[in-house]
Amino acid sequence: MVALTLANIKMMARNRQAIFWALFFPLMLVVVFGLFEVNGVGSADVGVIDQSEGPNSELLLELLNEIEFLELESDAMNVSEALDKVAAGDLGYLIVIPASFDDPAISSKVNLVYSTRNPDRNQLVDGAVRNLVSEIQSNGGPVVPSELLMADVIEVPEVDYFDNVLLGLLALGIMMNSIISIAVRISTFRNQSILKRLLVTPLPIWKFFAAEITAHVLLALVQAGIILALGVFVFGGHVHGNILWVFAITALGSVVFLNIGFILSAWAKSPAAASGMGNAVAMPMMFLGGAFFSTAALPWVLPEVAQALPLTPMVAALREVAIDSEPIWETWPYLAAMGAWVVVTAAGAIKVFKFG
Amino acid sequence: MISCAIMEPAVQVENLVKRFGTFTAVDGVTFAVERGEVFGILGPNGAGKTTTLEIIESLQKPTEGRVSVLGLDVQSKASEVKARIGVQLQASAYYDYLNLTEILALLGSFYPNKTAPAILLEQVGLSDKAVNRVAELSGGQKQRFAVAASLVNNPELVVLDEPTTGLDPQARRNLWGLIKEVNQRGVTVVLTTHSMDEAELLCSRLAIMDHGKLLAVDTPRNLVNKLEASYAVKLTMDQPMTMAQLEALNGRVEVLQSGEQDDPGAEDGESSSAENTYLLRLANSPSALKSMLDEIAKIGLGLENLQITPVTLEDVFLELTGTELRD
Repeated sequence: MVALTLANIKMMARNRQAIFWALFFPLMLVVVFGLFEVNGVGSADVGVIDQSEGPNSELLLELLNEIEFLELESDAMNVSEALDKVAAGDLGYLIVIPASFDDPAISSKVNLVYSTRNPDRNQLVDGAVRNLVSEIQSNGGPVVPSELLMADVIEVPEVDYFDNVLLGLLALGIMMNSIISIAVRISTFRNQSILKRLLVTPLPIWKFFAAEITAHVLLALVQAGIILALGVFVFGGHVHGNILWVFAITALGSVVFLNIGFILSAWAKSPAAASGMGNAVAMPMMFLGGAFFSTAALPWVLPEVAQALPLTPMVAALREVAIDSEPIWETWPYLAAMGAWVVVTAAGAIKVFKFG
Repeated sequence: MISCAIMEPAVQVENLVKRFGTFTAVDGVTFAVERGEVFGILGPNGAGKTTTLEIIESLQKPTEGRVSVLGLDVQSKASEVKARIGVQLQASAYYDYLNLTEILALLGSFYPNKTAPAILLEQVGLSDKAVNRVAELSGGQKQRFAVAASLVNNPELVVLDEPTTGLDPQARRNLWGLIKEVNQRGVTVVLTTHSMDEAELLCSRLAIMDHGKLLAVDTPRNLVNKLEASYAVKLTMDQPMTMAQLEALNGRVEVLQSGEQDDPGAEDGESSSAENTYLLRLANSPSALKSMLDEIAKIGLGLENLQITPVTLEDVFLELTGTELRD
């Protein structure tokens, strides 16, 4: 089996054209996302806790609402919950209007909380909120704006949209390469009767699959290394967590997609058909797997469909370990989902696979 | 030749039936291949040759019947059988991105008992192509390489499926020489072919198959001798003969084929003497030829040309199947 694995690696390395194009697509996307200003300001979601509920605080809320760039969320929440959300990145900004805001006798400060995730946007929001508070408070006399607002900044690791996208692209690249590469390769082997040739030797069938999977997983790890290196060293992305966990999740995800490739290869009558089928399966996942944008806002049943796809837990697990620096065991629900996919796709591949 | 007094036959096929749905590819076939033989399975496309081989190679399961190879049941001892036989499939079946040496080394790694790639390449005359890829070989070289690949595990039996199909005459002769060499080293050879000359030249015994059935098994010479008519006689007359005259030539003569038809341009049905050629089959007895010549003299026709050739496997095949075998 070692000999077969090594031969597989040798064959894949010599098929330079296939290697190049397999890597080209995800790398091109890394370049595109790296060159474009994907970290632009966009809109800012702002949670508001109004402890005053007087005319002044209502006026402040009204004025904040008029700023299109701010999306106010005034759902009831307590301060500590809201602070956690800001720290976790689930909420961009938090404004706490103190109970004393409407008491002219007390000089009270509005509390604006944000993280270091997006410095450009922070400046804008900070400035806008500061001006509004100043406008309201200065009705009673000249007040120095800086005294009106107490800005709390939560230090978080430097993470931006590009880091998220980079991990999405990593998963995407592994998915596409694994599915298409194995589907085309096995379909070619079948067309050339290579599978039949192996069957007349005493090589146990499981060793054939094991050698294919091992060689392709190693290839996937190399691809992952190249994608991450380009993203981090050329385009300034970040991987905060343990890189080993990133590779471990990459390997597991690769197995799922290799199994899918084996299934497709059983149905495809030619390598060209296998390539087309691979693309047809990979494309929907590319958009629904959460690689580029959150799927929660999709219409109809698509968010549920997206959750059920194998790319989704892979992307989520990669982000948890790489961005949130979680240890890999903290991502167990995602790993369990991927493990279930491994079992289901392996069973499917064993059922439909044909040698002749 | 290995002494095989106490050895089981190399291949034993008993009442083999293989059905694919309602189609019966192999229909009750029984034969045995002795050790040291070159055994040929002859038949047209679709005769069931490849299916029979694939069951021997334990690539397919028999629907009914029993097949043993080197005394081992091919179903229950598939892995042992595979370890001891060498197989060359019909289609070329080798990796694109490995060179010849690497392919042989890889195939060898699947077997407990293996021969070094350099030795194998030398045996088939491909030493100078050791680092080339299969795509860079000519058709004949590819087939020689396929034979080398089938020898990677020092097999006691090699199974070659149509080894010379698609080769030019020189490459075919070259490969026949190679197969004979392999056999002379004591390796039993089972091959399929739809080429009569190949079967006649290479095989010590032949099985003739058609429509999944085994029609005959014997040495090529015996198959020919068993025919009632074992000479083909080609007569060229100075004028056309009637069917009655032809039938009168000898009671046992069979009209295979009358001479070329009249030229459409010729008038009144007249034809030139060169066209009055008739192919007859004649029984294998000294008197048959004499009585035919006597009859021609009696009718008073002039004999312009007479060719007598022994019948070939082609005729055997025609007799057994009622159809001609096409390459």
